[in-house]
Amino acid sequence: MESEQIDALVMIKHLERENRILRKKLERSEATCLELEQTNQKKEYLLRQIINELEDSQKEVQEKRQLEQTLIELKQTQSQLIHAEKMSSLGQLVAGVAHEINNPVNFIHGNLRYLEEYSQNLLNVVQLYQHHYPNAVAEIQAQADEIDLDFLQKDLLKILISMKLGTDRICKIVLSLRIFSRMDEAEFKPVDIHEGIDSTLLILQHRLKSKPEYSEIQVIRNYGNLPLVECYGGQLNQVFMNILVNAIDALDELNEKRTVQERKENSTQITISTSVIDLEWVQIAIVDNGSGIPKEIRQRIFDPFFTTKPVGKGTGMGMSISYQIVTEKHGGKLECISTLGEGTEFAIRIPVRHKIDRAS
Amino acid sequence: MLKTVVGHSNDPDSISAITEVLEQCQQSLSGASPQAGILFAAIDFEHTLILNQINQTYPGIELIGGTTDGEMSSILGFEQDSLTLMLFCSDTIAIRAGIGRDISQDLNSAIKTAIAQATTGHTEPIKLCITFPESLSTSAVLILDSLNQALREKVPVFGGLTADRWQFKQTYQFYKTEVCSDAIPILLFSGSILFSHSVASGWTPIGKRGIVTKSSQNIVYEIDGKPALEFYRHYLGKRMPATEYPLAVFEINETHYYLRATNGVYDPVVGSVTFFGDVPEQAIVQIAETTHNSILSASRTSMMQALHNYPGKEPAAALYFSCCGRRQVLGTRTKEEYALTQTCFTASLPSCGFYTNGEISPLEQQGISYFHNQTFITLLLGEA
Repeated sequence: MESEQIDALVMIKHLERENRILRKKLERSEATCLELEQTNQKKEYLLRQIINELEDSQKEVQEKRQLEQTLIELKQTQSQLIHAEKMSSLGQLVAGVAHEINNPVNFIHGNLRYLEEYSQNLLNVVQLYQHHYPNAVAEIQAQADEIDLDFLQKDLLKILISMKLGTDRICKIVLSLRIFSRMDEAEFKPVDIHEGIDSTLLILQHRLKSKPEYSEIQVIRNYGNLPLVECYGGQLNQVFMNILVNAIDALDELNEKRTVQERKENSTQITISTSVIDLEWVQIAIVDNGSGIPKEIRQRIFDPFFTTKPVGKGTGMGMSISYQIVTEKHGGKLECISTLGEGTEFAIRIPVRHKIDRAS
Repeated sequence: MLKTVVGHSNDPDSISAITEVLEQCQQSLSGASPQAGILFAAIDFEHTLILNQINQTYPGIELIGGTTDGEMSSILGFEQDSLTLMLFCSDTIAIRAGIGRDISQDLNSAIKTAIAQATTGHTEPIKLCITFPESLSTSAVLILDSLNQALREKVPVFGGLTADRWQFKQTYQFYKTEVCSDAIPILLFSGSILFSHSVASGWTPIGKRGIVTKSSQNIVYEIDGKPALEFYRHYLGKRMPATEYPLAVFEINETHYYLRATNGVYDPVVGSVTFFGDVPEQAIVQIAETTHNSILSASRTSMMQALHNYPGKEPAAALYFSCCGRRQVLGTRTKEEYALTQTCFTASLPSCGFYTNGEISPLEQQGISYFHNQTFITLLLGEA
């Protein structure tokens, strides 16, 4: 009986203990529940803020990218404007000079024919005099001797021939300058591409001829049978000029490194080939046999302000502007193909007809 | 040899709890007499009563301890509102306790007093210091600087700051039969003691960085020229700055960071936030956060590394000091933290630990000790 009572007391004590623990645990778990809720809320708020920050920074990055793109475009526009302004002034200057020279040269050139005729007539009269009066009076004889009349008669005609050649050449250059600048052609017009190339070459003639420090650069023209191409003639001539100047610079640079013997054995040349690709496209390929362009430079060759020339020699705009003229203004393609040690080719592809025409 | 025993009770009644704990210890001691002990108790117990009971059972025992935010032991695993006691017996290891009072008034002299008490009776050089200082009255970094200096930076210090179940209002430290606050109790070990440790966290910085533009010791007034409270409110809304979201602190020209958790004290008028440790001006700070898995994986790493570093054959006891912020985040999964440490070895190891308001340990095995937040520290003890 007593042991039963003891057992019951132990049991009661045990139950009391369990009860205490359970109550404490309940109290604690309620508190823990609240804490966990708060913990969750904090975490939620934190994560939302972090996501907001992430979104903000993404927006910033996006805006930054847009700004960067705008800056690039602005720079390009600025360089185009500068170049256009420069070329426009240069074109006006060239056109103006050509126009001003054109009249007096025509005046000289046109009168040379009469000068030649009159001189010939005068010479005929002199010869008649000499034939009928072989023994002239002493004064005439003395004057004839003094001016070396025989030589004068022979040389006068030679001078006239050379003057005629000279004015011929001036006329051609003036014509080339006018074709090159094409100030009169602000719109798309059918243009003879070969005429443009030839006039550009004529302007660059001084760079192609042999000089004490440089060898002559041979120009090979492989002209195909091109139709008239609808384009901005003046602008395309700019492209030919930029590519040809680069080719000449590259060949001059190569020659500088060569010995006289090497220069003789390997003549430097520029080959200009034109061809019709199909009914819609023509191609002009300008190829030099220089040392070629390394890949890393080739990748950047059409970038604005990219140049390998010393400070002050190149603006880094020539090829970039050429690229824009060919691709954007004419809807064409400009490619640079180069093999180190063999040379470089610039291939210009231009649609025969202007896009708007084709669309209409 | 070092004999260690543990008792642990979750009975909320103080008398019943300490009776149960002492019964467990007596049984494990099998007649041996303990030299020293460590007591971790939840804040609600009648602590003086408990300390007196221990002293009656083991008169003159060198005992220190403190209040907690959770307890753990090899008897019950993780518990809250419980009481756990670890007792040490050894003929070759000397262990003495000391107490420094009123640390917020005169820290250096308090620490000198504590060390003077705890060094009495040692015949060999001191090898190890365990301490459970007050967390709410003084910057833990200052406490540790002073303690390191007093120990001439030759003795590694381990331990944790006393806690009060996430209330951050009043914590207590224990010394023999005395219940103190604003105090630092220490236990110094000499003789053939062997130990190893490891510290791991699991928190990572997230969000934008700010520069501490105004601070004084452990109070941060301004971040990026704005009240420090705003920095917290940006991430946590109108809630009070949370201990489980510490600041990752990058000192000037440093790529590594340490964590500083707030002790929940803030001034809504000035906008300042108080931390358990110092935050220097010009340091770059970032909110740090964690997940359950990274906390738990860090705890396991801490135990594994401590075992790997242990210089003897096998340890005789393990002490764990884990941050209350970890418990707060882990919630009902807190028990897994202790359970994971037990998967690292096969034999049963008497172990005991508590959830702290900040942890103390060296980074290297024998280096100078630092104050940490949000870490799990494993300290393995044994005898040569």
